[in-house]
Amino acid sequence: MSTRAEGMVAGVLRRTWAMTWKDVTVELRARERINAMLFFAALVLFIFNFALGPDQEKLREVAPGLLWLAFLFTGMLGLGRSFQAERENECFEELLLTPGDRESIYFGKLAGNVLFMVTAEALILPLFGILYNLDIWGLLPSLALVAFLGTVGFSAIGTLLAAMTAHLRAREVMLPLLLFPLTVPVILGSVRATATILAGGGLGEVSHWLKLLGGFDVIFLVVCPLVFEFVLEE
Amino acid sequence: MEERTVVASAQWASEHGRVGAGASLAAKVLGAAAALVLAAGLYLGLVVVPPDAVQGDVQRIMYLHVPSIVTAYVAFFVVFCTSVLYLWKRDLRFDAVAVASAEIGVVLTGITLATGSIWGKSTWGVWWTWDARLTLTAILFTIYVGYLMLRSFAEDPRAGARYGAVLAILGFLDIPLNHFAVYWWRTLHQPSSIIRPGGPSVASTMLVPLGINFAGLVLLSIYLLLERVRLERIRHRTIEVRLKRGRRG
Amino acid sequence: MGNWGFVGLAYGLASVALFSYLLLLKGRLRGAQEELAALERDSGRRTR
Repeated sequence: MSTRAEGMVAGVLRRTWAMTWKDVTVELRARERINAMLFFAALVLFIFNFALGPDQEKLREVAPGLLWLAFLFTGMLGLGRSFQAERENECFEELLLTPGDRESIYFGKLAGNVLFMVTAEALILPLFGILYNLDIWGLLPSLALVAFLGTVGFSAIGTLLAAMTAHLRAREVMLPLLLFPLTVPVILGSVRATATILAGGGLGEVSHWLKLLGGFDVIFLVVCPLVFEFVLEE
Repeated sequence: MEERTVVASAQWASEHGRVGAGASLAAKVLGAAAALVLAAGLYLGLVVVPPDAVQGDVQRIMYLHVPSIVTAYVAFFVVFCTSVLYLWKRDLRFDAVAVASAEIGVVLTGITLATGSIWGKSTWGVWWTWDARLTLTAILFTIYVGYLMLRSFAEDPRAGARYGAVLAILGFLDIPLNHFAVYWWRTLHQPSSIIRPGGPSVASTMLVPLGINFAGLVLLSIYLLLERVRLERIRHRTIEVRLKRGRRG
Repeated sequence: MGNWGFVGLAYGLASVALFSYLLLLKGRLRGAQEELAALERDSGRRTR
């Protein structure tokens, strides 16, 4: 690679990292987001246990769906807040003034969102295993792969939509309304793959779902940063 | 950026004579043609073609259900193309066609859902099944209803056009992915009997009303599109006049 | 509901939907035209 190209790539990475680091440090100080996400997830898991009763078989059947319900709703909570700081402090204009490509802003925000969501998932999963009596430890690598692919896809579109809906009226309704229909492939793929894995099937059995998740991720990781600039312009 | 879109809007609104005139001749002709073709399709589908050997007369719902969803897909493809063109050229005419096409697509998708549900009730006894086609149609409907809502909730029509265009691009790319996901999850619906290697397994007598109704719906959609774009033109002209008044004080 | 009942329901709903959209569109057009006409009349008066 020529030195000029190297310089450009280094610049993008540096700006992306700066954005992510800013979000992470802000969160570490107040821990607002992660707390809300975890509390909500625990609530979901508990309430569904109450709703579905003590029948272990029934619980085992719906368990994968419940796990992803917890993951997705907490992810949504996190996404909803990912541009909150910028909106509240009216920093959007500042974001635009910062020198550098819009792609860095997108990837920086995306990395932050994925980080938060994965952290929440890592804490929710053991809780889930305990509450629903499932042995997840042996299956951890497979479950983690599916969760990661799903999280990246969900956050790829979610970050873009969060920026878009940040200025809108009724933003709390618009974000889920727009996000969930678009991420149906991710939701279906993740839930079905998780279900098969929890039932004992290996990664080979879910290869088509993994391909779908991977394909989804690649497509939107390319398209979303490209259209992100149109979302930010004023 | 603002200046450019306002100028483009003004040019569009001022050209082609009075904005206040009624529907163009082309539109009126298309509307009449649509009515004729649909009437023919209706007659063929309901009267001429014999009832299905297995399902009986309820199968006739197909002559409405299938052309409806196919036309909707065409409409959403138009939304995709005009959205890309709008983001590229910033000509508000593209955006006008996009929103018009989306509205029509939503109406047609709604009709597809309703007729699909009714057909399902008549053959399987339930108003809703989570089979692949119905589920996909429901998702499609939600995506483009979201598109229309997004546009209406944006404070500024230009921002609405921009956001809508981005969403339309994402939505259209999503459609094939949705297809794979939902089909792998479910296959209760009858397999796609028209587009399959080896030719259609639908009787040729059935293809005729299907084709005619499809043509009729396309004609109708174009007519509705022209009228809806005319509405956008009037709205843009109104904004332009307001802006001029504002400047004069 | 008999077979033809379902068919009638389906075609009927579709017709109602399409007609309603058309009528609403005509209504919106009328409203927008009136608004524009009123606005242009007003502007005309002001420049004099």
